[in-house]
Amino acid sequence: MAHPARRHQVEDHELDSARSTRAHGPIDWLGGWKPLLYSCALLLIVNVALWTWNYVYMFTAGLNSASPEFTRYYRTLFWFELVSVGLFTGVWFGWLIRTGREVVKHPVTHEEEIRRIAVLWGLVGATSLTIAIMASFWPNWDGSWHQTMVRDTALTPTHIPMFYFWFPLAVTLSVGTYLYGRFRIPAVYGGDKGFPWSFFLLISAAVLEVLEVAFNEWGHSLWISEEFFAVKFHWPFVFYGWLAGGMFAVWGETILRLFDIHREEAEMSAGPRATTAIR
Amino acid sequence: MATTVADLAERQRRHELRELLQKQYKWIDYKWDLVFWVTAIFVVGGAADITKLLFAGDWDFWTDWKDPQWWPVITAFATIIIPSALQYIQWAAWRFPTGATYTAVCLFLVSWIGRYTQWHVAADYPMNFVYPMSCVGAAIILDWILMKTKSFVLTSLFGAPVWALLVWAFNYVPLAPYLQPTFYMDHVLTVADVQGIAYIRSQTPEYLRVIERGALRSFLGETQYVALAFGATVAIGGYWIGQFIGRYLAVWPIKRMMKSW
Repeated sequence: MAHPARRHQVEDHELDSARSTRAHGPIDWLGGWKPLLYSCALLLIVNVALWTWNYVYMFTAGLNSASPEFTRYYRTLFWFELVSVGLFTGVWFGWLIRTGREVVKHPVTHEEEIRRIAVLWGLVGATSLTIAIMASFWPNWDGSWHQTMVRDTALTPTHIPMFYFWFPLAVTLSVGTYLYGRFRIPAVYGGDKGFPWSFFLLISAAVLEVLEVAFNEWGHSLWISEEFFAVKFHWPFVFYGWLAGGMFAVWGETILRLFDIHREEAEMSAGPRATTAIR
Repeated sequence: MATTVADLAERQRRHELRELLQKQYKWIDYKWDLVFWVTAIFVVGGAADITKLLFAGDWDFWTDWKDPQWWPVITAFATIIIPSALQYIQWAAWRFPTGATYTAVCLFLVSWIGRYTQWHVAADYPMNFVYPMSCVGAAIILDWILMKTKSFVLTSLFGAPVWALLVWAFNYVPLAPYLQPTFYMDHVLTVADVQGIAYIRSQTPEYLRVIERGALRSFLGETQYVALAFGATVAIGGYWIGQFIGRYLAVWPIKRMMKSW
């Protein structure tokens, strides 16, 4: 049972959400779609910042991993990324679970459920953008860098943003999106229904990608320090892209819920319990 | 002319479909479609690019790696996988014969962003050395074959070999200028070879270059056609890998739960 003050806080938050929803509507761009716009904008800003950092320092500080410059500009960045993603994950997951345990106890109106599905799609959209950044944008630079410079460390200038920021962030976003649905869209992802295969595949994709980093570094340290993209120990990175197909299942099952909500709304309008909110 | 039961049933069905088409939904508007199609660009483009990069990327990065033997085989295989998956998804969901074209356009966008910013701007390679391949033309034909046959089996048997042929043909056009002969340091080389010599890469050593093996530039060019025939064969396999992804990793999981885990 949550502390009364905590419960009060959660209810306040829900009231705030309802007010916000009334101001903008659940499917207005600044209503339910706001998290999509803000999160994608934030991800793009972070990506431009990391790209610029690498562009400015890779040739001046990124060539020799034993140099003090490398420590100053790249090992610092490495730790900064891990700590920032770790902190973000802890705070976000903590908020999702603590508030979610209270939110899930209360009935939700159809309008609010629609807004939450839009928010979930926003989180899925942010995860999708992250996938493009980590599976296309940075691997291209990884290719151009490692075919220009032979590596002398596993923490190369292109590995640090790609492997130690975007890869763990994809795990955070995919798990966080599930936690959002688990507590806030119980009609689709409620705990009583079991664990969805859609999120199992999507989360597996992101986790596999992180685990494959270890295999990649092991393979490069054992067999070949030069870059040859089609080597077999790179192939598990590809399976990540395939498993991310689970994202389409997330879209599919929430679209079906949208139609169910409209059907339920029509039934309620026709019946005597038209004003009753359902869970 | 007498109205038959079949006519009435058809009229009823058309009426129902028209009603369904004109049905108004309180909370479903164009924004759901827009968000889906735009945000899916990233996951589709990312999946297609990582598949191409790590199966066939080395042959796509440089003009001097686009050889007549390996390039047509593995590029066709690597690039048909995700278009096939999207063909299944879009055909199963909407009967849209557009999945391959959608994927090819997504791949085109993310490939050019990556190639321009990372290879050209960041690492300073000229774009005429590192431009990415395109499979948009082949994808339009693959979708057309699905639309006409309405069968994934027939699309795989006819469409995948056509894909292999067209991916090579359409990308041979921009490559052709770099295959012209030139005399360089007492040797007859192609222009692409000269580019490769000018830009030394960590994959330049011979033990990494699986290209230029055997009789690639002899046998009156017949190696090219053998490679295309084999590429057509493996493209069929790639098409069914894509079908597996579309069927079992994207559509099958919808509303399926693990009850205990």
